[in-house]
Amino acid sequence: MALLIKQSTIKFFELLPLIILFFITLNGNSVLDLNFFSLNLHYILIYYWVLRLPSSIGYGSIFLAGIITDVIIGVPIGTNAISLLAVASVATYVRVVTVRISLLNDWISFIPALLLGNFVYYAALYFSDYSINYIYLFTNSVFTFIFYPILWLIFTLILKLMKY
Amino acid sequence: METSRDDVGIAIRSAFLRKGTKQRFSIIALVLLSILLIFVEKIETKPLNSFRSIIKDLVYRSSLVVSSPGRWIKMATDATKNHFNLYKNYNELKKENLKLKGMISNEEFLVLENMQLRKLIDEQIESENNLISSRVMLDKKSPYNNSFIVNSGGNKGIKNGMAVLDGKKFIGRIVDVNFFSSRVLLVSDLNSKIPVIVEPSGNHAILSGRGKKNPTLDYLPKNHEIKDGSKVFTSGKEGIFTPGIPIGEAKITKDNVQVLLFSDLSQVTFVNISSGDLKKIK
Repeated sequence: MALLIKQSTIKFFELLPLIILFFITLNGNSVLDLNFFSLNLHYILIYYWVLRLPSSIGYGSIFLAGIITDVIIGVPIGTNAISLLAVASVATYVRVVTVRISLLNDWISFIPALLLGNFVYYAALYFSDYSINYIYLFTNSVFTFIFYPILWLIFTLILKLMKY
Repeated sequence: METSRDDVGIAIRSAFLRKGTKQRFSIIALVLLSILLIFVEKIETKPLNSFRSIIKDLVYRSSLVVSSPGRWIKMATDATKNHFNLYKNYNELKKENLKLKGMISNEEFLVLENMQLRKLIDEQIESENNLISSRVMLDKKSPYNNSFIVNSGGNKGIKNGMAVLDGKKFIGRIVDVNFFSSRVLLVSDLNSKIPVIVEPSGNHAILSGRGKKNPTLDYLPKNHEIKDGSKVFTSGKEGIFTPGIPIGEAKITKDNVQVLLFSDLSQVTFVNISSGDLKKIK
């Protein structure tokens, strides 16, 4: 019985990143818009888990989450999917070329992921004749970058719980 | 140098082209599929539109289920707030009631006068709003898109471009119709442009959303006579909306003319969708 509970707990923590991804996607909270700032939860979540434990969130799930987000927020289908895959691709590349794991390394390498993700997102919207609020984009990117370490710590805790 | 370039090549190939451990798809394949989907989105054919409608309806329903705990928490919070504000609201309503009582007699006179003047100018058309009531299903205003989903679609005769009202006040238009749901683009959205008329000056303008709470009036003539409190209505110039639907009142700022909406877009639960048919008087 104790073994079953332990196995179920481990399974739950293994699935937790995927549950969080689809929960925030279906809940329409991929971009958390608060009174004074906003941050892109999707980018942080995907970047962290693809970098640290790629088996926890598959590329197919990222693609599907992007498609669902597109439908919910009402942008052309494929826009969020491609931007999330851009973030995942930077994370995959960084994972391949780095050896040491540290918050600072992850944080700095998050900058190109953020830039590429936003560039792809707005390029897709631009070609679909959507108006773009550049100031919003800039502040959103800045706060997503600032909040990365906080979520990094939370996700690292989940990662530790998965392993033990 | 050669070795370092080779390393980068290997890393890129390994990251993007290979599927990786426990991955069913490679990134590059999914990126290409996303690009294809973006292009397919622009193609308008009946089978594709039906497929898109089914997918969207399915996602909206799933989202409705997943977001229900959040909605319940919000409802409970609002109910608690309302409970604590009861006494304050009662006093405010009492004052407002007194003020409105005073205005009723004046309004009756104005209605009578308006009827006489309409007869005098031999009014040609009369608006007949075919209103369809709907409930707001999902209110997920993204920072890039101020819109929400209502639970009426093609099944109730909703079509693209129809005006959406909160009570009798204009708040947006239909931009995407599925079988059982539709998307309403609010006037505050960056992509929203509505032809309006400002009274009493009679100036025509375009009401442009800014992605913020208050939209602005664009393309106004240089010597316009708009003042704070001037009322903004739909002009019906584009031939879709019924003319004269109230939207808000003007507020002159340093840089532009903003419109304070009559309706609080964050508090809308039910909407009326108007087909805006114009019926000629025989």
